[in-house]
Amino acid sequence: MAMEPRRLLVLYASQTGNAMDAAERVGREAELGGCAAVEVVSMDRFDAGCLPKERVVVFVVSTTGQGDPPDSMKVFWRFLLQRNLGNQWLEGLNYAVFGLGDSGYQKYNFAAKKLDRRLVDLGAKPIIEKGLGDDQHPSGYEGALDPWLLSLWRTLNQIYPSILPRMSDILHPEMRTLENSKFQVIYHSADSVQQDSDMSEHPENFVKLIERARLMSPALQCHDEEKPHHLLRMVTNKRLTKEAYDRDVRHFELESLSSVIDFQVGDVLEILPGQNPSVVDAFLRRCNLDPDCCITIQRRATEKESLDPSQNGVVHPIKLRSFVALAMDIASASPRRYFFEVMSFYATAEHEKEKLQHFASPEGRDDLYQYNQKERRTVLEVLEDFPSVQMPFEWLVQLVPPLKKRAFSISSSPLAHPNQVHLTVNIVSWTTPFKRKRHGLCSTWLVALDPQESRGVVIPSWIHRGCLPPPPPSLPLILIGPGTGCAPFRAFIEQRAVQNTKGPTSPVLFFFGCRSQESDFLYEHFWLSHSQNHGVLSKEKGGGFFVAFSRDQPKKIYVQHKIREESARIWRLLNAGAAIYIAGSSTKMPTDVTSAVEDVIVKESGMSKESASRWLRALEKAGRFNTEAWS
Amino acid sequence: MGSAGMENGVLVLTDEIALPISVIRDLQSESVSEDDDVVVITQCGSLGAKLPFGPASFDVVVAVSSSSEFFTERWLEEIGRVLKPRGKILLQTFIEQDKPSSALERKLLMSGFLEVQTFEAKALLPYEKARIVSLEGKKASWTIGSSFPLKKEKIVLPKIQIDDESDLIDEDSLLTEEDLKKPQLPIVGDCELGSTRKACKNCVCGRAEAEAKVEKLGLTAEQINNPQSACGSCGLGDAFRCSGCPYRGLPPFKSGEKVSLPSNFLVADI
Repeated sequence: MAMEPRRLLVLYASQTGNAMDAAERVGREAELGGCAAVEVVSMDRFDAGCLPKERVVVFVVSTTGQGDPPDSMKVFWRFLLQRNLGNQWLEGLNYAVFGLGDSGYQKYNFAAKKLDRRLVDLGAKPIIEKGLGDDQHPSGYEGALDPWLLSLWRTLNQIYPSILPRMSDILHPEMRTLENSKFQVIYHSADSVQQDSDMSEHPENFVKLIERARLMSPALQCHDEEKPHHLLRMVTNKRLTKEAYDRDVRHFELESLSSVIDFQVGDVLEILPGQNPSVVDAFLRRCNLDPDCCITIQRRATEKESLDPSQNGVVHPIKLRSFVALAMDIASASPRRYFFEVMSFYATAEHEKEKLQHFASPEGRDDLYQYNQKERRTVLEVLEDFPSVQMPFEWLVQLVPPLKKRAFSISSSPLAHPNQVHLTVNIVSWTTPFKRKRHGLCSTWLVALDPQESRGVVIPSWIHRGCLPPPPPSLPLILIGPGTGCAPFRAFIEQRAVQNTKGPTSPVLFFFGCRSQESDFLYEHFWLSHSQNHGVLSKEKGGGFFVAFSRDQPKKIYVQHKIREESARIWRLLNAGAAIYIAGSSTKMPTDVTSAVEDVIVKESGMSKESASRWLRALEKAGRFNTEAWS
Repeated sequence: MGSAGMENGVLVLTDEIALPISVIRDLQSESVSEDDDVVVITQCGSLGAKLPFGPASFDVVVAVSSSSEFFTERWLEEIGRVLKPRGKILLQTFIEQDKPSSALERKLLMSGFLEVQTFEAKALLPYEKARIVSLEGKKASWTIGSSFPLKKEKIVLPKIQIDDESDLIDEDSLLTEEDLKKPQLPIVGDCELGSTRKACKNCVCGRAEAEAKVEKLGLTAEQINNPQSACGSCGLGDAFRCSGCPYRGLPPFKSGEKVSLPSNFLVADI
């Protein structure tokens, strides 16, 4: 009889961390079932060429809103698409695919669907049918994951009985005991840490502190670039929407404290938000933690591997409080199901223990979703709702969601404003189903920064390429950016205006949309000034500025209506080789706009809708149809 | 070659202090013609991943380093920027004897270079201990469609030149008709009172009546100042309250103690 496999590999591709959580759960259950060798790895850290060597692989992949695979899957996927792999390349591989997606989108779970089919085409054998998790389900993706996992383990156990020797432990979670935490916290003497000095005087120290804290965090997925590129300061903070209007959209101007900022239009600024100090204090008090003790965090060695001290590199101890403030998200992100499971082991009050076990069980899944995910409970709120729970710090370090950077499109051109970065930010606030008022962590922090009062506050930032490639001055542009989607295009237009003073530039058509001219016409004077006096958006220059006010008349008018109105001009520009850029914060807007552009092509060229759609897809492959959509 | 005033050229980039002129001669015999202009930058580490050239200025960039880590993504991006479309990057560096070169190939791929492959080349720098690895990649081309006159009857859509990736299958062909149909949204019941929602053990707060109305019951001043809970669960917090509980959304309280109102919630306000 052939050697039965002992090893289970879980490969995941995660964008926001959900697929990673699901993958870790698959790995945990396999370990619980007694699997001898389980590995959970992100796709961008796995060489696709090694895939044929594996016998059993579980793939967990997310699909982003536009139907795309996560960034971490791109290289792996490209490898799998190669024609020359043949249809026997993965013969001998048993696999299963679980996808995380949102059925509110047309391209529902496309990444998982394509992967599943491609694996079959390459000769691999599915253990069970693909599972599709759906954000629209009452309990999110767990609704599909729970039954799918049970089915997976049962079927796998039939194919290879020896891979999961303790199957019963998976099927009866009540019998479980808590395993060891994966990480340990090492305490150091106080003199091993240099004293925290005033940030504004020693910005280099702050940069180092951030880097050290975040490099140590086990909860952060990847550790590329934990050192901030720049420390910025708020120099202008202006409200763009009318005071009485319920949405607060701000224009922020940020300046660098020391390093020279260099970037291109279309780039994205990532910011690490500051957490409210009193909230951090409340967390430390609740968890009985000493803020001043100095710590480092290390992966705990398992019985099999020996701890190689050189693997971690040189790790500098930092104050516990700094770690919590810079790397642990305690007042914004919601904890995951596993957090509740581990909490149940540390609850001393019977009713709390019961409730936590209920939340962690498949039966309590929907209740957990109502209480936790839909309400957007924070870690601190959950801990305060279960006061008898005393979770050791090493578990908190592993399970508290990491403090994430927030990304914003840059809305200024470096040519027009050297050494500054402008942002157009919607200050996020909402009311939960339980009628609690909640606020976005980063936008609320930024809006409270006053150029005079908050001089000492530094904003740690990184600059990266976005999805919108910067256009050369000779490229004609069709820009569509309703609401805060106008941010990158303000940068494009500023840039082109400067380039126009130095040489000829090609025309720009800009389509903007908002609710009403009175309340939220962002940058009204900016667009109008560039539409007059031979500005880049003016008729004389072959440009155009079109705005749709959706609520200023009984019938709703959106950018897509304006696009259809201007079909002749758009078609003329497309023939001249124009590129189309779409940006905005809506989920449906890019689809609606694409459809409107297809209608324009159909109307002006007489082609069928399918041909127009194909032509636009070819345009996208050629880099002339770019979308940046955020939620 | 000579298009509109731009120099043809090769850029040789290294973080070493010195580069012998024989390197240029070696290159000239292998990948570069004698007429090409060669610009050499040594100690490029001091530039901070920025090159003092405009975009699309070079046909070939030769990057040499004794450390395989030196050319980071930022460097590769910058090299891509100064390369003309279809321009070539030649990267030579040193890696440990048994490490594979695939990590470097991947780095080049991720930075947007196409047709990445290793090839045999003479060592441009003297170094004994490790083995040299030479990689080459091409920058994607960027050609814009041509214009054409509009005909009355039959219109032909303007051609778009795209970089032909014929070595990859078309991923959209992996989807079936079924996949392409608009997905069915799951049937969601009333989210406030789902069928699995359990009332707390001795619930007397009127959950059954609450099924009829979805609105939260308003709180009277008495209920705020002197909160009582007949079922015993209301003061424990949202995790223990049932969906009809008038105190839902408020923090936990002790019986008889005034309930703290939402303005005390730990919302980020500085």
